[in-house]
Amino acid sequence: MENHLTKRQSRLLTLPAILIVALVTQAPILFTLGLSFVHWIIVRPDLGITFYGLNNYVEIFTSGDFYGVVANTVLITVLSLAFCTLLGILFGLMLNRHFPGINIVRTLIISPFFVMDAVAGIIWRTLMLNSSFGFNGYFAQLLHVKPIDFFGVYSLLTIILLIVWQWTPFFVLIILAGFQSISEEILDSAKVDGTGWFRELISIRLPAIANHIEVAILLGLIFILKVFGLIYVTTRGGPGYSSANLPYYDYKVAFLGWDVGHSAAIAVVTVIITLVAIMSLFRWFRRRSKEAAA
Amino acid sequence: MKITAKKVRRFVGIILIWLVAILWCFPLIYMFITSFKLEADVVPPSLLIQHFTLSNYAIVLQQEIVHYVVDSLTITLSTVAVCLLVGVPTAYAIVFGKLKNPDNLFFWFLSTTLLPPVAVIVPMFLLFKFTGLLDTVGGMILIYSGVNIPIVIWMTRSFLLDVPTEVLESAEIDGASRVKSFFSIVLPLARMGIISTALLVFIFVWNEFFFAINLTYVNAAPVPVYMASFMTQEGLFWAKLSAISTIVVLPPLVLGWIAQRSLVKGLTMGAVKG
Repeated sequence: MENHLTKRQSRLLTLPAILIVALVTQAPILFTLGLSFVHWIIVRPDLGITFYGLNNYVEIFTSGDFYGVVANTVLITVLSLAFCTLLGILFGLMLNRHFPGINIVRTLIISPFFVMDAVAGIIWRTLMLNSSFGFNGYFAQLLHVKPIDFFGVYSLLTIILLIVWQWTPFFVLIILAGFQSISEEILDSAKVDGTGWFRELISIRLPAIANHIEVAILLGLIFILKVFGLIYVTTRGGPGYSSANLPYYDYKVAFLGWDVGHSAAIAVVTVIITLVAIMSLFRWFRRRSKEAAA
Repeated sequence: MKITAKKVRRFVGIILIWLVAILWCFPLIYMFITSFKLEADVVPPSLLIQHFTLSNYAIVLQQEIVHYVVDSLTITLSTVAVCLLVGVPTAYAIVFGKLKNPDNLFFWFLSTTLLPPVAVIVPMFLLFKFTGLLDTVGGMILIYSGVNIPIVIWMTRSFLLDVPTEVLESAEIDGASRVKSFFSIVLPLARMGIISTALLVFIFVWNEFFFAINLTYVNAAPVPVYMASFMTQEGLFWAKLSAISTIVVLPPLVLGWIAQRSLVKGLTMGAVKG
């Protein structure tokens, strides 16, 4: 296109966005990296700010809590993504047909995605899973069993349950769009061949929406690694650190222990783990789709 | 009328689907039901409203919740405005402009969405503390803009790529200025996309928890911070809690229902096709 925007105008249009985003996301990260090498506890001004070398990192990697939290993060992420994908495919298949009230059904299923973490957590914690007054206690009484200890022994599973409840709708939206984009011809040819429903799903439908599933998993991974609010309002990462993920762990060190250096170091490690996880999944999907194309 | 086995199977299938959907949404449905109950009727749980009342809403709306809702609205609407004002022109320049490396710039914006918020929280807290932005509406608008501008660029770009270049070219031949062709051609064509982007940012900011809980206390605290305070109050008033919850989830729910279709398109386009 000739005579459209000049180079200068183009750059000018992008400048404000670059400045704001750099100020809020890029500059602080460099700052965090720097802080991870100092010893600075805000509530102990008498100790001052001193250079601490790699000691913050050494402390992280020699503390027992850290490995437990990393294991939790991996468990939460992998299990949540697996359930979200399975349920997403299942619900996607359910919604990919015409029947009375389909719009209402779709709306019901996707609604949890738009509910804020704070409310989702509180509703589940009280009305649903509370062991004396919620449905948890109610059914336990009905069946003459002990209520399930959702916020003690099973706290990590509770977090996963809530994430799956909130994020499955997101997977459904994307996977349903995939199913709807499969052309009729492909499905018709399968019918002519007399392929059974399940065979058709495995060998035709799912491969056809592989890209959609990958996008859902990638975006899901990005968001689920950041989960914080759900943990904050339900289990507070507890008991101990048994249901804490990396963001929650870092929050506790930063804002309850006020240990700036230590929390900055955890943040740096969290960023590295996050980027490695996302990039490896991305590479893996790329390789897979290239192989499929070849 | 002949009832075939096939018809019965279809009927049962549809009932099952309805059941699954209602079960999935049940916590929200039950929250809605509870908000019309008397506190005394909340336990034991029941799907029926024994004594219908609107008093929970009446009481709740007289409390400090109003102040939090106003904060949330101010922060959210301002952020949406800033993000659109700054993000849409950037996406426009990336798609139609003459940048040296438009793809690199785009991926740079995209990469910032990967970062966990914990990576920036300590410096942001210190910066806010020393500049007096801590616990201010302005500070929150700044941080939410920085986080959501990349999302606006990401989605708007998808929708702008759909605008046929021939239309723009013919407008230029007709002598339309850049500004004019942007407002009279590009904006109307990408209108639905930009609106749904705005709705998505509204939902994200309205619901955001991490920055809100760490960077506000009283003066600029939005709704999620207020909701979290229920965690520490052990005196349980579940009917009122449900009424408040219903009020604060309603805006994003309604906007989400409106935006769902284009949301998928904006987030997956390019990724799916590329």
